[in-house]
Amino acid sequence: MNPSWYWPTPSGKPPLTAVLSIVLPIAVLILTASTVDMSYNKIFYALPRMLDFAKNLWVIPDWQYLPQLGTKMLETVEMTLLATMLAVIISMPLGILAAKNASPHPWIFRMTRDLLSFIRALPELVWALVFVSALGLGPLPGIMALALVTVGFMGKFIAESIEVVSAKAIEGLESTGCNKLQSILYAMLPQAVPDFIGSLLYILDHNLRAASILGLVGAGGIGYDMVMSMRLFNYERIGMIALSIYALVTLLDRLSDVFRQKAIGGILNVH
Amino acid sequence: MYIYTQKRPVMAYISLREVCKVYPNGYCALKNINLDIEAGQFIAVLGPSGAGKSTLLRAMNALDPATQGEITIDGVTLNKKNYRKIRAHIGMVFQQFNLVDRLNVMTNVLVGRLAEHSWLSSLFYLFPKTDYQIAEAALREVDLLDKAWSRADKLSGGQQQRVGIARALAQQPKLILADEPIASLDPKASEEVLKLLRKICSEKGITIIINLHQVEYAKQYADRIIALNAGDLVFDGSPEQLTAAKQAEIYGTTAEEIYYEPELVLANA
Repeated sequence: MNPSWYWPTPSGKPPLTAVLSIVLPIAVLILTASTVDMSYNKIFYALPRMLDFAKNLWVIPDWQYLPQLGTKMLETVEMTLLATMLAVIISMPLGILAAKNASPHPWIFRMTRDLLSFIRALPELVWALVFVSALGLGPLPGIMALALVTVGFMGKFIAESIEVVSAKAIEGLESTGCNKLQSILYAMLPQAVPDFIGSLLYILDHNLRAASILGLVGAGGIGYDMVMSMRLFNYERIGMIALSIYALVTLLDRLSDVFRQKAIGGILNVH
Repeated sequence: MYIYTQKRPVMAYISLREVCKVYPNGYCALKNINLDIEAGQFIAVLGPSGAGKSTLLRAMNALDPATQGEITIDGVTLNKKNYRKIRAHIGMVFQQFNLVDRLNVMTNVLVGRLAEHSWLSSLFYLFPKTDYQIAEAALREVDLLDKAWSRADKLSGGQQQRVGIARALAQQPKLILADEPIASLDPKASEEVLKLLRKICSEKGITIIINLHQVEYAKQYADRIIALNAGDLVFDGSPEQLTAAKQAEIYGTTAEEIYYEPELVLANA
């Protein structure tokens, strides 16, 4: 390297903290990888079997299954949308209470935050197990599990997007003698809208994928079919299911890109 | 200290008595300020950065309440319970405009009416017809009625500041506090804003207290000039009384600070 090149620090050397924060974690992870059975031999010897599995997928799809696949995919989408809508309605007030600058009292802020992280502590599948044992098999426990976990995440996202809102507009409102609720409604929420939309689209994407595996525990959606065909080595179906989930997620991704551009570019006006 | 003493009016519109402001970090931004302001005047506050000009204004509407002393506005003394009530009739204009960027101009002006409404009507973003009439009149006053339905952040700096003034007018205030309203504006927009504020003061009899960095503007527009330095009131008088010598005292000499050049760090690398 050319000896007259320096890092932009007083000494011209890379900052110690930056070097350590990169080198140390990597060193620690390499040394501890064996505790989780991270073995290169194992991966290497498993390769042929993975190839076998991939080869098995090259079969003529089970066209008879198509109508049921359609219904199940629709059910998955419906579960996703319903759960997300329910969650957004519930998480809006919770998110406001969990935002430091909007919460009416530090205790309420702390309690709401803790409640939200408690909800998030268990993944959808575990909550689904709980609801399946209470409500029986079917999409309803799936929707409830999904909505619950989404409240946990969406509430946190909403709180965080309210917290980073510019304090100037809030001050502008407060100078007119507004009360707290009015400054939340007129200064904080409108400014947080682009962030809300971003989180909502992310959550939708996440929920679609979550909804497609909830069937694993009998909570509706395409997941049940997927697991059953895996267990029965029904390769004619596995490929179809995987492809249709992929297609749906991609479609949603494209749609959300378009929507996000419009929302943040200001074409979608709030008021 | 050169305190210009004037005859105190019997009942001043605004009166500050021994007002002090100490920030939590121990910094004393206002030291024992006594001040009387008559209604309907245009008052410019001068002083170097950090002199306490903003603190003084923000103490008057309790955005940064004073830590000691008494502030009385229109016969009401500020205390912790009447902040919101007092602010409702004090407009404030900010250096950075402090509008809600994503809302349209009309909504930004209607915000000036919110203090009069209950939380329920606010919840649905509803305003009565009379509020729209007040807001329209305010927008006409600042000559921005044609921009009523544009988004606030689509406007130029000068226009945004006029929206800020319209929001203050929508409060139907008796007093407007303008905290360096032209510091972010170009010279042309600055003059427009100052002329507008002067007109509002002269025609509507609204008292205006404005923080400025430009002595010339203060002399041109103000009825009375107040100057602060390091939290002390160092000048209080008419524009004519603010001589060049007084100006030098207000701002001090900072030549050394300005021409101080830090050592070039990379030169020896």
